[in-house]
Amino acid sequence: MNDGPLIVQSDKTLLLEIDHDQAAACRKAIAPFAELERSPEHVHTYRLTPLGLWNARAAGHDAEQVIDTLLSYSRYAVPHALLIDIAETMARYGRLRLEKHPTHGLVLSSSDRPVLEEVLRAKKVAGMFGARVDDDTVIVHPSERGNLKQALLKLGWPAEDFAGYVDGEAHPIALDPDGWSLRPYQQEAAESFWHGGSGVVVLPCGAGKTLVGAAAMAHAQATTLILVTNTVSARQWKDELLRRTSLTEDEIGEYSGAVKEIRPVTIATYQVLTMRRKGVYPHLELLDARDWGLIVYDEVHLLPAPIFRMTADLQARRRLGLTATLVREDGREGDVFSLIGPKRYDAPWKDIEAQGWIAPADCVEVRVTLPSSDRLAYATAEPEERYRLAACTHHKVDVVRSLVAKHPDQPTLVIGQYLEQLDELARALDAPVITGDTPVKERQRLFDAFRTGEIRMLVVSKVANFSIDLPSAEVAIQVSGSYGSRQEEAQRLGRLLRPGRDGKVARFYTIVARDTVDADFAAHRQRFLAEQGYAYRIVDADDLEVG
Amino acid sequence: MAETGFRSLADQLRSWSDDRVSRLLLARPDLATPTPHDSGQLASRAATRSSVLRALDQLTRLELSVLDALVVAGQTSREELLGTVHADPVAAGAALDRLLDLALAWESAQGLRALTGVAESLAAGPGTSGLRPRSPEPPPAAEIKAALEAVSPEARTLLQHVADQGGEATTSGSRHTVSVDDARTPAEELLARRLLVPRGGSTVVLPGEVGLALRGGRTTLEPVDAMPEIATSSRSAALVDRAGAGAAFEAVRRVELVLDEWSLRPPTVLRSGGLGVRDLKAIAALLQDDEATAALWVETAFAARLLAAGMNPDGDLCWLPSDRFDTWSGLPTAERWAVLVTAWLESDRLPGLVGARDTAGKAWNALQPELTGVHQVEARRMTLAALADLPAGQTLAAGTGLPSLTAHVAWRRPRRPRTRADQVAWAVREAAALGVTGLDGLTSYARPLLDGDTDAATAALAALLPPPVDHVLLQADLTAVAPGPLESALARRLQSVAEVESRGGATVYRFTASSVRRAFDIGWSAAEVHAFLAAVSRTPVPQPLTYLVDDTARTHGSVRVGHAEAFLRSDDETALAELLHHPQAAALGLRCIAPTVLVSDTPIDVLLPRLREMGAAPVVEAPDGTVHVARPDALRARTPKAARAEGARQARDAARVSAVVTAIRAGDRAEASRPAAPTGSPLTPSGALAVLREAVETGESVVITYVGDDGVRTERVVDPRSVEGGRLLARDHRSDDVRAFAVHRIVGVRALGASVG
Repeated sequence: MNDGPLIVQSDKTLLLEIDHDQAAACRKAIAPFAELERSPEHVHTYRLTPLGLWNARAAGHDAEQVIDTLLSYSRYAVPHALLIDIAETMARYGRLRLEKHPTHGLVLSSSDRPVLEEVLRAKKVAGMFGARVDDDTVIVHPSERGNLKQALLKLGWPAEDFAGYVDGEAHPIALDPDGWSLRPYQQEAAESFWHGGSGVVVLPCGAGKTLVGAAAMAHAQATTLILVTNTVSARQWKDELLRRTSLTEDEIGEYSGAVKEIRPVTIATYQVLTMRRKGVYPHLELLDARDWGLIVYDEVHLLPAPIFRMTADLQARRRLGLTATLVREDGREGDVFSLIGPKRYDAPWKDIEAQGWIAPADCVEVRVTLPSSDRLAYATAEPEERYRLAACTHHKVDVVRSLVAKHPDQPTLVIGQYLEQLDELARALDAPVITGDTPVKERQRLFDAFRTGEIRMLVVSKVANFSIDLPSAEVAIQVSGSYGSRQEEAQRLGRLLRPGRDGKVARFYTIVARDTVDADFAAHRQRFLAEQGYAYRIVDADDLEVG
Repeated sequence: MAETGFRSLADQLRSWSDDRVSRLLLARPDLATPTPHDSGQLASRAATRSSVLRALDQLTRLELSVLDALVVAGQTSREELLGTVHADPVAAGAALDRLLDLALAWESAQGLRALTGVAESLAAGPGTSGLRPRSPEPPPAAEIKAALEAVSPEARTLLQHVADQGGEATTSGSRHTVSVDDARTPAEELLARRLLVPRGGSTVVLPGEVGLALRGGRTTLEPVDAMPEIATSSRSAALVDRAGAGAAFEAVRRVELVLDEWSLRPPTVLRSGGLGVRDLKAIAALLQDDEATAALWVETAFAARLLAAGMNPDGDLCWLPSDRFDTWSGLPTAERWAVLVTAWLESDRLPGLVGARDTAGKAWNALQPELTGVHQVEARRMTLAALADLPAGQTLAAGTGLPSLTAHVAWRRPRRPRTRADQVAWAVREAAALGVTGLDGLTSYARPLLDGDTDAATAALAALLPPPVDHVLLQADLTAVAPGPLESALARRLQSVAEVESRGGATVYRFTASSVRRAFDIGWSAAEVHAFLAAVSRTPVPQPLTYLVDDTARTHGSVRVGHAEAFLRSDDETALAELLHHPQAAALGLRCIAPTVLVSDTPIDVLLPRLREMGAAPVVEAPDGTVHVARPDALRARTPKAARAEGARQARDAARVSAVVTAIRAGDRAEASRPAAPTGSPLTPSGALAVLREAVETGESVVITYVGDDGVRTERVVDPRSVEGGRLLARDHRSDDVRAFAVHRIVGVRALGASVG
């Protein structure tokens, strides 16, 4: 028995006691191969997953290192079966390699013939291969590069991609560090990405992912296609690039529902790319419109399924994924791994927060009790109506009002899901409301006004969830959400976690109707936040008014 | 050892000390059952084919080679024999001594001889050289050498070929009697030089002495005393122990988990006596193990008699934890481990076979009664012994370790069954799972256990196991982490307030509304839960957890749930009040929960007669619409009878053997003092056999009185060759031919020289 900070459980979770003096060193050592699952205040939970181990392999770690790390930090004996499993899982990565053959083009080669034979016989990869070159090598149809990687991952033999990338059309891009510079972690993230070729950088909201993208572009020195979630976010990317790089207005194009420009750097929305008319995607040719040297995916965890399919065809181009979390509600983490690439950089939120780049947050759940009449209505409602009924109770308006009164001078966002509720709130609070129906120009204006402090309060629907910088928000009040989605919670919290204020604690209120599905969903979100290590309190609405 | 040699094996046995005979009987226990009358019968029994085969199975490759050399030599001196074995003479000498001790070889007046029957049993089995026995009067080695040098290259090649192919060949058209000068073919040349010897028909054989000469005077070209090395890699002994202790801890925990699960939800016993595949899968899923490992836990629990078949309340035969399990689960972890491993060491069960298919294509079920192997215990012991022989810190090398270990065990017991590779692999895997080995090296704490010293093993292991902890860390995500194994009372209490989420060295508990509610249901109050949490937590209780407990307590109060065995209801409130206040009602635990409803903790079958005694006239209500709350009882089967412990078995064996030796000696004395029996008089069948066997050994002719097919007694002079399967094979002097005699028709045997009484 040694006195390490780590306890290795037989279910492949690692418990890290963070009050231990070796905890920091241990975290650094296990971060490359273990996924941080929960980081509450005392014991952090990491999980060993095949993807995590393969990510580590892709980053150049081997099983021996992983096992040695576990053994040297583990407090108790490490289950033998687990060690074997780690070694076997890691050995699976890289047995198959996608390579460029001097005469045959793209080939799949293997150092382990039985594996190659097994894979060639699998139904999943039927039709992706051409002729056998020799015993260990088989030709791959270049168009199947992405599909093959996806299929191989599903078969449990992820291929390492050495086939390289096209350089793309050259285009000079440089960072313009005028009065600012890349933060160390942004620098590191961009470097790790560039050396890895393709892959995903995981940084929390507000940690400056746009700049990582810009730094990657400066590395690539080539035409770039940036895919973002929506138009507002596209505009923000554009502003940021204009401000931080040598690019000029003429060099950056926007390709969205409203404008269709194709320039050396083009920012397109997922929505326009995945728009279907009569069964075809009319805007897909954008992907081939130029010889792109780099493709940046913003918010990778939201990549819609059709984009995955398109990405499968873009394997010869460098791809950078940016995200706050690899967790996907649809469980397609494997596709991100095989199509965009392995994780190249990751920093836990709390670390960056401790470095002072993002504001700490204080999360409070306020529980309101439904009046008896509402409770009866709720109890007799159809199941699909229940959440709306509970979430939209009028009582919440009163609570929001008293919360707003508690923070009279702080910029406040009120976030909700249901339009009637938002309108009601807007009327009650006398604040402007932004929903999906608000014209983009009007949205932009209101956001700008909020940023400059002209407006102190905004009522927003879920359109504000993604990639809109509202750095001045200090208080967020959430009245309803989409069924306790974890990544939505991350986004909403992200609204508050933008840098720019000195040492102020952001407040994140969630108003929940007690004893209803609303509270059940809230429990999910609460768990997520607590697992992320945020201070979390639950108070009764009645206590709130008194205090 | 007598210098002069003996007339027969029986004579030799008579000369042995009691101690030496005892050792023989211990090494070959089949000789002692039933107790032989005297040394003659003992010797005769030692030569039976089945007994010889058993004895051969215990020999190492070197011992087999020495025995084989002896068979090739026929009859020889010790020095000459050791000279023909390609091995270190000291080791070969020790091997020869063991053969003598096992009575597989004996010292005749003319020299060492192998027991008859040995040659046949050895046959072409492993460890043999493939050489034929020498000719009765072999030419001097120099002569053979000269002959070998003189033959043509073609003939030499042919000879080598015959030697390589088992020493026997057929020639068609070759003349068997031919002089060297007349020889037309290589075969004839070899026959002429007597390097091949004709043996009936067109068959020719290579005599042993020629084979020896071809191999440079030794029976084999390769040395036979080279025990295969085990491929090892170096690991620190501490690391091995830690890894092993981790596995040991897990093994105990898993067995406990399986049995805990089965005390509530026992799987039924299959009609064939095993455990259903689906039940095994379910338990594997519960343990997050593969099925093979789950089968090991189940089989080990069974071997340790913690698991047995018993009746559930419905009268179905189920696999249930035995009442021994209750005692076991109260022991410290190290002791529990020792119980499991001791049982595993002595178990002949084959958990490794579970899931595989037998020859009929039927899958083996765990706990199936037929799932045993006679060699299992020995194979396991030998594997562990081989690991124990490695210096500390040496573990099996990855990849090459297991095959080399198999080869090593194969050298020590070359004649063991074909499944040895499997058995060694199973033993290695099971030992790793049980924590007997760590990183494929024997742990220091398991060594004493192999020698039967349970206490030392337990103490050594206990020092390596994580000490129990008495606190948990509570966190805002509503989990509690116990950073080590919790004290068992604490663990049980915590389990009633929280769900176990992850097990291992540490345990992660999660508080949910339902788990907290469960605690309230079994009688905790909110204040108690708060106090308990504050007491066990090293850290402040997080606010959300406090809130959860309070919030749950709030809703918990709104609907009251309690245990009640029976309810009494009546529209007549006075009647109920009367019952409630009846002087005899106190024992019934009646409670008024509403003016018209009483509940009772007393079961209906007790309650009903008592109420009637009290003058009420109750009617039992049908169960429809009532909620019957009953906690399922943890079920137990009776502990199966223990197999006798190893020590007791040894003591018993020793006692038995000494009794047998005494009986044999008494038999010998009686034999010696008895006046010479009239020869030709009817003998006991075993007496006849003993005499015949002795004659086989000594090669002397005997006179047998034989009852022919026609019922006529005849006396015949025969040279016995072998006695097997109720038939005597002997050369009949009368017909000068080898023929078989039915032993049961032989009514008398006497030595040829003995005068007719």
